[in-house]
Amino acid sequence: MPAKNTTTVPAPEAAPRRRHVLDLDDFSAAEIAEVLETTASMKEVLGRSIKQVPALRGKNVVNMFFEDSTRTRISFELAARSLSANVVSMSAKGSSVEKGESLMDTMRTLQALGADVIVMRHSEAGAPYFLAQHFHGSILNAGDGRHAHPTQGLLDLFTIQERFGRIEGLKVVIVGDILHSRVARSDLWGLTKMGAQVTLCAPPTLLGPTAFWLATWPDVTITSNLDEAIAGADVVMTLRLQKERQQAGLLPSLREYNRLFAITPERMAKAAPEAIVMHPGPMNEGVEIMPEVAVSSQSVIETQVTNGVAVRMALLYRLAGE
Amino acid sequence: MRYLIKNGNIIDPARRIATVGNILIEDGKVSQLFDLADLNMTAEPTGEVEVINARGSIVAPGFIDLHTYLGEPGEEHRETIESATQAAARGGFTTLCAMPATQPAIDSAGTARYVREIARQRGAVRVDLIGAITQGRSGERLTEMAELAEAGCVAFSDAGHTVSDPAVMRNALSYAAMLNLPVMAHCEDTRLTKGWAMHEGTISTRLGLQGYPSSAEEVMIARDIALAELTGAHIHICHVSTAGGVALIRNAKERGIRVTAEVTPYHLTLSDRWVLGSLAQSTPPTGPAPAPEGKKRKRAKKSEPGLGLPSWFDPTLLPPYDSSTRVNPPLRSEEDVEALLEGLRDGTIDAIATNHMPQSMVEKDVEYRLAAPGISSLETALGLMLSLVHRAEIDLVDMVAKLTEGPASVLDRTPATLRPGAVADIVIFDTDQTWMVDPKDFASKGRNTPLAGQQLKGQVMMTMVGGEIAFRRGNFGVGTGMLRQASKLEGILDDADKD
Repeated sequence: MPAKNTTTVPAPEAAPRRRHVLDLDDFSAAEIAEVLETTASMKEVLGRSIKQVPALRGKNVVNMFFEDSTRTRISFELAARSLSANVVSMSAKGSSVEKGESLMDTMRTLQALGADVIVMRHSEAGAPYFLAQHFHGSILNAGDGRHAHPTQGLLDLFTIQERFGRIEGLKVVIVGDILHSRVARSDLWGLTKMGAQVTLCAPPTLLGPTAFWLATWPDVTITSNLDEAIAGADVVMTLRLQKERQQAGLLPSLREYNRLFAITPERMAKAAPEAIVMHPGPMNEGVEIMPEVAVSSQSVIETQVTNGVAVRMALLYRLAGE
Repeated sequence: MRYLIKNGNIIDPARRIATVGNILIEDGKVSQLFDLADLNMTAEPTGEVEVINARGSIVAPGFIDLHTYLGEPGEEHRETIESATQAAARGGFTTLCAMPATQPAIDSAGTARYVREIARQRGAVRVDLIGAITQGRSGERLTEMAELAEAGCVAFSDAGHTVSDPAVMRNALSYAAMLNLPVMAHCEDTRLTKGWAMHEGTISTRLGLQGYPSSAEEVMIARDIALAELTGAHIHICHVSTAGGVALIRNAKERGIRVTAEVTPYHLTLSDRWVLGSLAQSTPPTGPAPAPEGKKRKRAKKSEPGLGLPSWFDPTLLPPYDSSTRVNPPLRSEEDVEALLEGLRDGTIDAIATNHMPQSMVEKDVEYRLAAPGISSLETALGLMLSLVHRAEIDLVDMVAKLTEGPASVLDRTPATLRPGAVADIVIFDTDQTWMVDPKDFASKGRNTPLAGQQLKGQVMMTMVGGEIAFRRGNFGVGTGMLRQASKLEGILDDADKD
């Protein structure tokens, strides 16, 4: 017979673990803040002489890169190794994909081989959502088409917060090929959720109708005048301009693009005195950014690269850590 | 076999009839129609006759689909004539117009005769053929249109391909005018849609998918209308999907140009929000702000509890980027959906056509943009259209007209009707039967539908082709001896039941 006065106390419910990281649209500001906090401790690990902790020991992380990106792939590899995971990387070149195997097939094989996390880079928007429907483990989106690049978005937020101690209220200008940029979209989710004032600046051919953007991000400002946009900005983020855009007829010439939209020392002089310059890399120096700006004291471009490893560690840890 | 369909709610738009009554079918034809409101109805048939009790159901002429992809010959893994026509029968269609997008294309009299022969042998419903405009549907050289017409083609279309060269299109229209047959145009300027994944708008911008702008459709509609005016030909605009397209067609009709148009059930009921799938939950609708009081027609609220009305269907049952939503032309914005409905109501749009495009898993289970466009839509067409009726967006009789009289008029035919002497192509459907879409139950081989798991209200109970039952749901209509509450009209019905 049960004793009187005993009440069963339910165990505190753990917050449901995030299964996938596909975009920042489903992150709350609180979750972003948590990730940034974890990132700070991961960055501390990277500063040690032995840059490794056992958090993911015994886990299999597969880097599935269907689009060339040596930099991002290495960043993810280092992040997984720093957490002691087993890492394998595959690229579409020379793989079964070139033989006509479907994405689903490739995923099933990786699943059968015991993958716990698939880090996926793909040229088609939405491809990670497709895999997430079928894969039993976690998907970490390393960039899909022009849709999302959540780890880049978070590393940008971390870099800004590291520099200014806050994100809220900062004036951020994103300039360049917004239309085709997954970085811009993820940054938009992250920055607006964290309370930054965002201005998008691009030629209309690299933006599309402004109403399309305002429907999703109603508080951003949109302009094609960089000189106005940059005035008083705290953060100037420029995007890589793919030279194919000129062939596609979206630009009359790189020369004119450079004249109207490049980040130059003269333009940076109009920004806030403590302003920083960011770029997701790789840069076309002399096209979207002038070399002297890229290496100036205002540039945090290299810091972004370092922070990228820490952010990816934080996310891998959230997805697969014990 | 003789059949007596009793006590159905008969709708015959061609004769402007909507009444309760009995229909006797003999020798494949409608033999007599008894209007039960008319007290002089002693002529009950005698002898061997199967009585089908259609009480509570709608009895209408069989639906005609202007736009179906059969898959056969050449792509039998997607669909066969047998499976497509069975799907048609389940959807209430008694005639399909088969698009020539087969392998090989229906671009010669030989192929046309071959397909007709298979359809005659294995088809559950009638199959009419649409011949290609150009050889191989490549947009270059005209087909032998007169021979195609002799082989039974009822119209011409390059089905899914635009005739890009305006000079070729002009010649095609001139030539078709000589044969007095319509040219059905797929209107897409492919130079504006290169790499497209979905409708260009707010949602494509958010999802990072390459857009298919409305203007890519509209510039071609405008061109084809101008060419129809020039040649005096009959141009039929296939699956119009944009507000601008509707406006162009409306204007052309006002100017007396021979233009007709069709719209699909899914373009009238689903929007590009469906590509967001579960992400649509957190995204407010993008439609226009509600019109000021009194300006717009009154309509049922989106989901009135207790009325059992189907609400707008729920896109959040799908994952984001679900390739079942990829279709050409793409699902458009909510403003476009509104404009299409308006076009349907005011007569700008003549017909409902399914654009039934079966695809296999191999074609659909891939990255969104790489998935073959198309929705398997014969079996859900009526349910979608009835959702508009239930929401008081369109009238039931008008809906039947757009599925029967409208398509017949596009083909310059005697309208499908239930007039005594007419061929007994009949559909019986229940407007209130609620069912859940499960593609596994489809007769079509194409299980590609974004509607899986959605509740539809309204289902086909029986389809009759040429006086024979092509599809019957369960034991529909068997037995007539049910007790019913008496009312004035019911009293008349019960009298009629006594035999």
